[in-house]
Amino acid sequence: MNMHVAKQTGPAQIEINGVAFNAEPGQRPVLVDGCDTIPKLFQTRCMALQDRTAHREKDMGIWKSYSWSAYWDHAKWIGLGLISLGLQRGEVVSILSEDRREWLYTDMGVQGAGGIASGVYTTDSAAQLAYLVNDSDSRFLFVENDEQLDKYLEIEAEVPSLTKVIIYDREGLHDLDQEKCIFIEDLYDLGRAYDAKYPGAFEAEIAKSKPEDTAMLIYTSGTTGMPKGAMLGHENVLASMESGARALAVEREDEQLCFLPLCHILERNVSVYFPLGAASTVNFAESPETVFDNMQEVSPATFFAVPRVWEKIYSRVLVLAQEATPIGRWAFQRAIKAGQARAEYVMYGKTPPASVAATYAFWDFAVLRNLRRMLGMDRMRRGGTGAAPISPELLKWYWSIGVPLIEGYGMTENAGISTINTLEHNLPGTVGRPVPGVELRIAEDGEIQTLGLNNFQGYWRNNEKTAETFTADGWLRTGDVGKVDPEGNLTITGRIKDIIITAGGKNITPAEIESRLKFSHYISDAVVIGDRRKFLTCLIMIDQENVEKFAQDRKIPFSDFASLCAAAEVVQQIRDEVEAVNKVFARVEQIKDFRLINVLLTAEDDELTATMKLKRSFVEKKHKALIDDMY
Amino acid sequence: MAEPLLEIKNLESFYGPIMAIRGVSLKVDRGQIVTVLGANGAGKSTLLKTISGIMDPEKGEVLFNGQPIQGQEPHRIVGQGIVHVPEGREVFPLLTVNENLSLGAYTRGDKAEIERDREMVFDYFPILAERRDQEAGTLSGGQQQMLAIGRGLMLRPQIMLLDEPSLGLSPLLVQEIFAILRRLNTEEHVTMMLVEQNARIALDLADVGYVMEIGRIVMDGSADRLMESEDIKSFYLGHQEEGQRGEKRWKRKKTWR
Repeated sequence: MNMHVAKQTGPAQIEINGVAFNAEPGQRPVLVDGCDTIPKLFQTRCMALQDRTAHREKDMGIWKSYSWSAYWDHAKWIGLGLISLGLQRGEVVSILSEDRREWLYTDMGVQGAGGIASGVYTTDSAAQLAYLVNDSDSRFLFVENDEQLDKYLEIEAEVPSLTKVIIYDREGLHDLDQEKCIFIEDLYDLGRAYDAKYPGAFEAEIAKSKPEDTAMLIYTSGTTGMPKGAMLGHENVLASMESGARALAVEREDEQLCFLPLCHILERNVSVYFPLGAASTVNFAESPETVFDNMQEVSPATFFAVPRVWEKIYSRVLVLAQEATPIGRWAFQRAIKAGQARAEYVMYGKTPPASVAATYAFWDFAVLRNLRRMLGMDRMRRGGTGAAPISPELLKWYWSIGVPLIEGYGMTENAGISTINTLEHNLPGTVGRPVPGVELRIAEDGEIQTLGLNNFQGYWRNNEKTAETFTADGWLRTGDVGKVDPEGNLTITGRIKDIIITAGGKNITPAEIESRLKFSHYISDAVVIGDRRKFLTCLIMIDQENVEKFAQDRKIPFSDFASLCAAAEVVQQIRDEVEAVNKVFARVEQIKDFRLINVLLTAEDDELTATMKLKRSFVEKKHKALIDDMY
Repeated sequence: MAEPLLEIKNLESFYGPIMAIRGVSLKVDRGQIVTVLGANGAGKSTLLKTISGIMDPEKGEVLFNGQPIQGQEPHRIVGQGIVHVPEGREVFPLLTVNENLSLGAYTRGDKAEIERDREMVFDYFPILAERRDQEAGTLSGGQQQMLAIGRGLMLRPQIMLLDEPSLGLSPLLVQEIFAILRRLNTEEHVTMMLVEQNARIALDLADVGYVMEIGRIVMDGSADRLMESEDIKSFYLGHQEEGQRGEKRWKRKKTWR
């Protein structure tokens, strides 16, 4: 990192990768290049960078570049267009779309106009959309295409307050005749007209923005009850950028890949705000299915993903390796071994002995370098994982193939970042130390609590829940349970709400058991059951790809997913996995029985979050028969 | 339960460098009609070709009457009573209808029986009787399809593998041919494995169905159950769910349940 002190009025500044930040993190006003709100920073960046590439998107198979000027113009037209349609400052605008540049244009346009941007998952149902639009009082809704539009049309009568629906993609909708619906080009025209009439109007709106204004609503997936809109202010996000610049540095020349839902704070930070701070380039994956191909094409410098993605990539490599020639397999195994020997040192920030380094250098040249190129990780300076626990073995595997992968921890309510491992200070198995500017403590009941300028403003129109989320002295209750080692590294053990009290009166943190189970390649997710019951049981969602491969290799006949789950050998294999996990735990914490969820769940199902995690309450409800069967 | 006539276990087959079948397991009971549905390139034809020995599997087993037959030469497999009626008919165009039928019985020696079977074929397909001395190449597509099926019957097969018999035929002809297939099944007890893209007519005829997508079975069940599946309805039977705008370009996501 290249830091030197810059001259500036206000708080003392330092420069990190060419961007000025407060020298002392966690101080008001939080400034990024002298700006105290997102729109001001956006304006500064666009004015300075002009024709440089801000985004790339694939169009008909060809990557096309879009400049910072285009970013500015489109955001301005959207912002002014909305103003001409009556958008008031402090009003929420909902966005229902997959990742694409228009999503970002809208985010910046809305925020520039003083509005609050709120993302809706494309996997949400029409009924969920109705709830979110009504709860946030949105009068404007952006939808991606005909598929998402149909969701709106289904619930049109239930969202009377909505005045305009703006559609990004015209395809298939040429003869659309809906009074409230317009296309994005129409909005651009409105914006252009407004701009011509009132030149400088957008800049004037931006100048009005204040650090304490709410910038966005992020609806938390809500494993219990209806989703709640977490309000993040400009200061919260800038504070997150301030911490991020130190712990998750992005450089100006970096290429990044945007593919997780932008409604989620993780992707929003990594693909919108951090690049805005760093002036790096964001590439949009074509679709969730093509991420791995796009990754290869883009070869990002930094890549932050959820554990599931890292697991998928790992499985793909294993499958490829097994299908290689015997010599190829041998070489691959030797290379991994050499990599693991080196990983023992480098992943803990130590220098490996010369012999280990030399062996690695050879295998890196012969095998690993090609592997990384094939995966699109040849330029990767740092991989990141968060939002769910990841197996330490998997972390080590990535370090072994020469991809530094670190784990962090954050949540919507603290703008996505609170602790992280860094390349210099990494302790696998923990989520690292608090990022600069964030303080952390463990409450008496074991709950992790954080304090920092990144802590959110509260839940949208839900003072009761907001009050529950903060302690009397203003710290954020994360709802997670964990412990901190003497060096300050945090380990998360579970969710406080999920604590199971068995009929015998024993308190058990299911997440500890569940994450152990999930480390198995055959188990994609698990839910431990046992509250007020005599013993623990668990429902398991198998990893389709790996279990199919397992069955195939062992000549276990199966046809569809249900028959795969029913195969005796598969059940036995999972039983072995469960037994292996049981060994780690005390008797009362052991799983006595389990069932496999024999329907292939998709993100559209209630039981799964958009990041494909099982939701305890829904799983317990929907698969009650399976559970009752075990007791 | 009786042993299935044909059982496939974890079959993997390559079509050139492409893994066309990625672990398929299915079974056909004696007297049953089983259909395998799937879009272009799902691996359906490769599956049939692997069973009939035209292609060798990379992995997995094909059990016929409980005996493994995978990897055997096609003529040995035919000899055991598995007849493959290929896609696109493939009758011998320059031979007459009669000669084509005789070739179907090439492996048999019992003259009298062969003649009886020939009469049976003519019985089921009267049009072939009318044109018995005509060159097969001059027949219409539907007649060629009938001839291909008839040629297969001449072997007195234990099972017929039918590769898209409806391909390129008019709806009326398709109905006619499928009605005859049903009769052959009920009257002559011919077991059939039918690969089709025309899901409606195939499910109508079959007892059991499998759905294949990119080399894997994604769904199976009785034909009635498959008919009721939302996924089958919208992807194979062309049902349009009524969209909000009365038209709908996007498709629901497949869940196969």
